[in-house]
Amino acid sequence: MDIDNIESWPSITLEVEGPLVSHFFLLLQQGVTIRSRTGCSVASFLREEIGADIETIKRIQSVILDGSPVDDLESAVIKDGSVLALSAAMPGLVGATLRRGGTYSSFRSGITYHETQEECVRGEGLVQIKIFNLLMAELGPRLLQKGVIISSEDFIRFATGQSQDFWQGCRRITLDGKPLDAGELQDTAWLSGKGQIFLSVSSDKARA
Amino acid sequence: MDKILRIDMGADGGPKTSSVPLGQYAGFGGRAMTSAIVSKEVPPLCHPLGAENKLVIAPGLLSGTASAMSGRISVGGKSPLTGGIKEANSGGQPSQVLARLGYAAIVLEGKPKNNDLYKVFINKDGVKISVDNSLKMLPNYDLVAKMKAEYGEKICCISIGPAGEMKMASATVAFTDMELRPTRHAGRGGLGAVMGSKGVKVIVLDDTIVRGSTPGSPAVTMQMRVPKDPEKFKDANKRFVDGLKSHAVTGQGLPAYGTNVLTNILNEVGGYPTYNFKQGRFDGASKISGETQAETEKTRGANPTHGCHRGCVIQCSGTYNDKDGHYLTKQPEYETVWAHGGNCGISDLDKIAMMDFLDDNYGIDTIEMGATIAVAMDAGLAKFGDADAAIQMIHEVGKGTHLGRILGSGAAVTGKAYGVERVPVVKGQAMPAYDPRAVQGIGVTYATSPMGADHTAGYAVAQNVLKVGGDVNALKPEGQVELSRNLQIATAAIDSTGMCLFIAFAVLDQPDTFQALLDLLNSFYGMNLTADGVTDLGKKVLTMERDFNAKAGFTAAQDRLPEYFKSEKFAPHNVTFGVKDEDLDKVFNW
Ligand code: SF4
Repeated sequence: MDIDNIESWPSITLEVEGPLVSHFFLLLQQGVTIRSRTGCSVASFLREEIGADIETIKRIQSVILDGSPVDDLESAVIKDGSVLALSAAMPGLVGATLRRGGTYSSFRSGITYHETQEECVRGEGLVQIKIFNLLMAELGPRLLQKGVIISSEDFIRFATGQSQDFWQGCRRITLDGKPLDAGELQDTAWLSGKGQIFLSVSSDKARA
Repeated sequence: MDKILRIDMGADGGPKTSSVPLGQYAGFGGRAMTSAIVSKEVPPLCHPLGAENKLVIAPGLLSGTASAMSGRISVGGKSPLTGGIKEANSGGQPSQVLARLGYAAIVLEGKPKNNDLYKVFINKDGVKISVDNSLKMLPNYDLVAKMKAEYGEKICCISIGPAGEMKMASATVAFTDMELRPTRHAGRGGLGAVMGSKGVKVIVLDDTIVRGSTPGSPAVTMQMRVPKDPEKFKDANKRFVDGLKSHAVTGQGLPAYGTNVLTNILNEVGGYPTYNFKQGRFDGASKISGETQAETEKTRGANPTHGCHRGCVIQCSGTYNDKDGHYLTKQPEYETVWAHGGNCGISDLDKIAMMDFLDDNYGIDTIEMGATIAVAMDAGLAKFGDADAAIQMIHEVGKGTHLGRILGSGAAVTGKAYGVERVPVVKGQAMPAYDPRAVQGIGVTYATSPMGADHTAGYAVAQNVLKVGGDVNALKPEGQVELSRNLQIATAAIDSTGMCLFIAFAVLDQPDTFQALLDLLNSFYGMNLTADGVTDLGKKVLTMERDFNAKAGFTAAQDRLPEYFKSEKFAPHNVTFGVKDEDLDKVFNW
């Protein structure tokens, strides 16, 4: 994924009835990409890019950066190309093991995240975010409203999996700023092979 | 719960029952009860399917009371799979009902002299045992339907499927849920084969009594067991339930998604054993995650939040409907979805749900079966990802074909039969869904648990609550050994209460909830159990189990992971299991 081409990607916006935003949550568990500041700590990324407040951050019990559980949100650094996964508290001993800074963190010391970068290179880049379980409803609406990048194939799979009820609940759709009706978006053939698309979803939930 | 029901299946003239006082087993419940009876009464060198082995079924200490979460039931015996002592526990209705009927345990002893198949019926009036060969080779769902037709809807059942009758080492003992479906299983270790060797197909429990003397008076269930101090008990139960409901895992995460919520995160950290433990990530994980599963269930009109027995306030279970909206199976748990899913390279939730149903119906342990299919796939019997071939293998087991007999004997036997080196077992039992190279502390428990590789063995209460063995410096390497020890002690104790182990998450984080649990036990029995007492109980249980295994011929050599976990690097982190043998040998030094 090349940040220089970002302007050429199709941009789809949807304004949906509140409850329908949850239809997009399963995209979040697979991972969506955002254009964001890099070179900052995970803590400031969560606050400033994801919009998580202190209470929400407390509920983000497991933070996985590039496949490794993070214990210290202040020292781990977000870079261009990072993959950041977020989860609420998980069951089981393994769930407890993967919590940040928990009693059982030593159980997975072999895969724990250790920051190696001595100096932060501040800039802009693309970061993939995966949001799991209870956090999907908590962080999803705002993130989706801000806009995410997903592959056109993922969007086609999403669009073809939706019922008519969903499409009827879409109040306004635009493509590159121009209005589009739901039927045109359901016919996804034109999207095939487009690479990445920029998707923004707004709802009453995100505005609340 | 002041008596033990002993059924001698080998008695002259047919099975003989006796109801005896608790005696030396007073104060024991659940796992403490099964392990105490097995370690005292079963010769460790006996054949697991022989007359000398015993099958012990024991409700927990608080089963049958008004306490929340108290419906787990333990099954114990010498395991045909591991050759050592075994306790496997299950949810479902029978624990509550058996306890209300007054039994602290049922012990099946001896061995019938012929091939007749028996059913046992227990109600307030006593015990009836009868030959019923029409039940032969009935799968669990059909069997329960037949029992319902015969005894009515208020019963609950403890049963075996064809795998148990064929005495396969991966056979389960099934327990019916609130809807009278055989969806809950004491899965691990092949105890269904021990029940099969005793010739018992089903134990039907009925705790209804008729209220009133006029014809047509309603049948109601027996009263809850009465605590010594009802006020304190009520208060403790309220605090206990509040604690469970306020905790993020037991109050929100588990009810919303069930245990399968673990798939995404295990996959993300590269600890999700995939393609028979070859790598730690599965491309299809998001298709079979708890999030996807819950959404699928909701869309199809099933229920993703449901308890396995009355009195469960966490409700980690649910139901799973097929594409047409018809019930297919209960919500498959994380271990089942992993075993039949990522471990076999399968990412089709409907096919995985079908396998869950078939396992329940034939009475096969889902973890052992999934691990065995993956070993068979490694042997070339099918390709990874071929869900239809995997389903066919389960049918082979259910029908008892030659191939099915091998597969039904578990992963270790299948690996031997087909010359596969990568067989993820400890003490002959397949590992569950967490790779011990990525999460090494889990590997310590897999290696050393007297039960064989077991994910629930070290699942319970934090040492910072119990202070088992003093404070542990978790950052030192030896901390993993100490933590595993503490967890195994605490788990053994929780397993003895009859509480669902999932309470552990709330108890782990909230000392008040742990105190509420102690208060429940104390107010019910008029005891003064403290955290130290819980620790002593856990140690006692583990000591009994380790002694049994030592006499059965187990040495330190059995407390090891297979060699390849030390040499094969596990992607994406390229880690191997690094805990030294001499450290593993220290786990039970207390
Ligand atoms: S939490 Fe789950 S396993 Fe435990 S009792 Fe409730 S439904 Fe059963």
